[in-house]
Amino acid sequence: MKREIRKTRPRLGVFKLASCDGCQLTLLDCEDELLALAGELEIVHFPEASSNTAPDGPFDLTLVEGSVSTPEHLGEIRYIRERSRFLATIGACATSGGIQALRNFTSADEYGEIVYAWPEYVLTLADSTPVSDHVKVDFELQGCPIDKRQLIELITAYLVGRRPAIPNVSVCTECKGRGTVCVTVARGIPCLGPVTHAGCGALCPTYGRGCYACFGPKENAETASLARLMKSLGLDEREIKREFRLFTGYAEAFRKESVRHE
Amino acid sequence: MGWPVSESGKSGSARVLERRDLSGLFSLLLEDGYRVVGPTVRDGAIVHGDIESPQDLPVGWTDNQSPGSYRLVRRTDDRCFGFAAGPQSWKQFLFPPKERLVKTVRRDANVEWVGSPLDETPLALLGVRACDAHAIEIQDRVFLGGPFMDPGYRRRRESCLIVAVNCSQAGALCFCDSMGTGPKATSGFDVCLTELEDAFLIEASGDRGGRILERLPTRDATKADTDAARAALEACKSSMGRAMDARVLPELLLGSLDHPRWDEVANRCLSCANCTLVCPTCFCFTIEEISDFTAAVSSRERRWDSCFNRDHSRIHGAEFRPTTKDRYRQWLTHKLGSWECQFGTSGCVGCGRCIAWCPVGIDLTEEVDAIRRRPDSTTDARGREDAGAARPGASKPVSSSREGTPPVAGAEGATAGDSSTRRRGVEGEQGLRTEESPVFIPAYKPAETVSEENPLLPTPAHVLGRRTETRDVVTLRLEMPAQYEHGPGQFNMLSLPGIGEAPISVSGRDEDAVEHTIRAVGALTKALCGLREGDCLGLRGPYGSGWPLDEGEGRAVTVIAGGIGLAPLREALRLMEGRAGRYEWVRLVYGARSPEDLLFRSELRKWREESPLRVSVTVDRGSPTWTGNIGAVTALLHRKELPRDGLYLMCGPEVMMRVVVRLLERAAVPRENVYLSMERNMKCGTGLCGRCQFGPYFVCKDGPVFRYDRIAFLFGRKGF
Repeated sequence: MKREIRKTRPRLGVFKLASCDGCQLTLLDCEDELLALAGELEIVHFPEASSNTAPDGPFDLTLVEGSVSTPEHLGEIRYIRERSRFLATIGACATSGGIQALRNFTSADEYGEIVYAWPEYVLTLADSTPVSDHVKVDFELQGCPIDKRQLIELITAYLVGRRPAIPNVSVCTECKGRGTVCVTVARGIPCLGPVTHAGCGALCPTYGRGCYACFGPKENAETASLARLMKSLGLDEREIKREFRLFTGYAEAFRKESVRHE
Repeated sequence: MGWPVSESGKSGSARVLERRDLSGLFSLLLEDGYRVVGPTVRDGAIVHGDIESPQDLPVGWTDNQSPGSYRLVRRTDDRCFGFAAGPQSWKQFLFPPKERLVKTVRRDANVEWVGSPLDETPLALLGVRACDAHAIEIQDRVFLGGPFMDPGYRRRRESCLIVAVNCSQAGALCFCDSMGTGPKATSGFDVCLTELEDAFLIEASGDRGGRILERLPTRDATKADTDAARAALEACKSSMGRAMDARVLPELLLGSLDHPRWDEVANRCLSCANCTLVCPTCFCFTIEEISDFTAAVSSRERRWDSCFNRDHSRIHGAEFRPTTKDRYRQWLTHKLGSWECQFGTSGCVGCGRCIAWCPVGIDLTEEVDAIRRRPDSTTDARGREDAGAARPGASKPVSSSREGTPPVAGAEGATAGDSSTRRRGVEGEQGLRTEESPVFIPAYKPAETVSEENPLLPTPAHVLGRRTETRDVVTLRLEMPAQYEHGPGQFNMLSLPGIGEAPISVSGRDEDAVEHTIRAVGALTKALCGLREGDCLGLRGPYGSGWPLDEGEGRAVTVIAGGIGLAPLREALRLMEGRAGRYEWVRLVYGARSPEDLLFRSELRKWREESPLRVSVTVDRGSPTWTGNIGAVTALLHRKELPRDGLYLMCGPEVMMRVVVRLLERAAVPRENVYLSMERNMKCGTGLCGRCQFGPYFVCKDGPVFRYDRIAFLFGRKGF
């Protein structure tokens, strides 16, 4: 197949909103692939990696980490969107509101008073929300933090021009694929794997712990049935609520389930 | 269940291996170069892993199982095989969760596809229970039964040695006795052990097993030995924790598609796919493209898939089984029902894994009982298609009793057009479909031929020409592979390295080229439409059923096409144009969104003006220069003669075909005179990956062209 030599490489922008930077670090962790990546993409804006920044773009591929959490973020994300051709959000914050979205279930002011000495200096929105609540998102890469292989697959698929092979299947699929014995069935440990998006390689169950749903809900997450199972394993309503309300607790499927157990 | 008692160690006769000599079997297998895998204790369960000696076996362990629960417990004795099926089946070894199928290398303008290497160590599976030996034989039918064979599976399977172990105790979730698959292994092994108190009864099957038995220090079996073994098996049979009423399961399940139990079980099902992953016979897989950033080198990888995953049934713009109910119903009707149509055997061996390893403990024996107790009465049908061929390996002889099952129609029973049968389209939860469609249960037909070629390996084909048909449709003229033959209506799998592969129907051919007309909708089709003369792509095929043009001879033929659906019909039209005298008449009724979306415009004009074909064209939206018909295909069809004994060939959006089918039914056209081309998620094109299932059919193998009476009970129904 003929392939044109790229005169201009696609321009990459990496942005962060409210987040811990862990997902951007995942990109920097792609040590073996970074050089090849830099050969294929022109890294235009990536403050985590370089002080040579150009936030105005324009960008062919934009990766956005973090949730929309402050009034500035509202304008910022719209501007990023305008300057981007393909915008992918990366991580639990950007795709579901993140751990900071726990405040959405209560009053942000109350949280502010508990956490900060001078909460009056904190200018924040009442809710922390995923980027897709505000602008059109072309792909959402879930995970807290995201998985390096899935990130590489996302970028590769973008460059080659295919749909990323990031199946929206359960963590159970990864357990079974690597031969991990089900912790719920064999040990009675509550596990969010059956409703959680694969990507971590079934890390926790492989070490004998239940899944914490770092990768957020899979499609068609049957949380109500799982909550009944948790109850039969001895969890009370408060514990069930907490199971669903963690890093990705504001993702719709988990939010609805945790609210049912309030 | 008897064992022949004989003095020599020859194949087929029972011998005894003392317990202390079991290590000899391990040594032999390792010496012979096998990788020995078998049961061993890990992570609180008896799993399958590499083992080197009897000490690696779960000596003195057993398990307590119940729906959604498995606990490893100590036995009071030191039996090596005193446990039931664990979390893993053997399929992970013969059909691994991930496997590279094809590697692609690009050299200048050429692309080369190569199969994956063949250098795996042969496996010895030690401790295979009767249910699992049957499961392996069932997967043999899937992957080796033809018309195409899976090369990776074949090579592992052929080199693999099976040491079976008869069960001397049943688990709480076992029901092999109901399924006719155990507890005694009767086939599918080289060596078979029955554990006695201090020894193993050992028998061999075939040369390979015989040679192993000869080299082991065995003694003759005494009557006491064989009596003990028989008693253990009898005790096992009578202590099955579960039972399955296996009578007429295809009829029961496919005849109960609207049963309220599906909603009830969907309320419990997690849609997590565990049942399919632990099932020893589930075989669905997906194929993913793996590449570096430039796709200079790429490969195609197979991964386990499940009908509980969204992508299993998804194609661009459609998701056929979106809900948990759709998915569970697909699984159960396939496993216990349509599997028999496809492979001549049930897909269930009664191992009970799906019950134990379902986190919420859904028990298929209970689900079947519930469905049997309250048969769904919404379907009207009378029998099964006359099987004709034998049904080897079927779990149970099909009982003549129809008690507790809805009546089902077979090929003979379905008298479409019968004036006593009232039919009308219904709108509602089930979408638009015709009422009173008899369930059609196709008989299992073994493949007539089995190809030994690697079916998943594309042949390079260069683009010889490219024509823009509309703003988003392109026709590619491709170099024809050697010895390529196809019929009108068949399809090829077209692929681009690093991007993917998709089924595309053949839209035409001449002496040295085959044509494909492609609408740019997804990543791959966009890339295909962007190819230019001289570019190279991958082609494999042809696949699927074609249009039955012979059946149209002497009859009036009406061809109904919508949008891109004209592409797979173009060759049929060309062939009929060339021998028009054989048909009473041939009419094309073609609809598109707008005049600009009409395909093959110059050919349409030529057909209308210079050929005997009767051509009518309509568009949904006109344009200032459009002077033709405006409106739906059905509106146009309504004004045409619709002879009852005519032949009708149809391809287009499903919604269009549904409306046309209603119109034809109102015109009293018998269903067997109507053929339509279906689309589902065809990933392999060769009947191996399981993704394009449509009720009892594989669209890639049994379709895409179906006679309507055979799919009427499913057509237009949501969730299939």
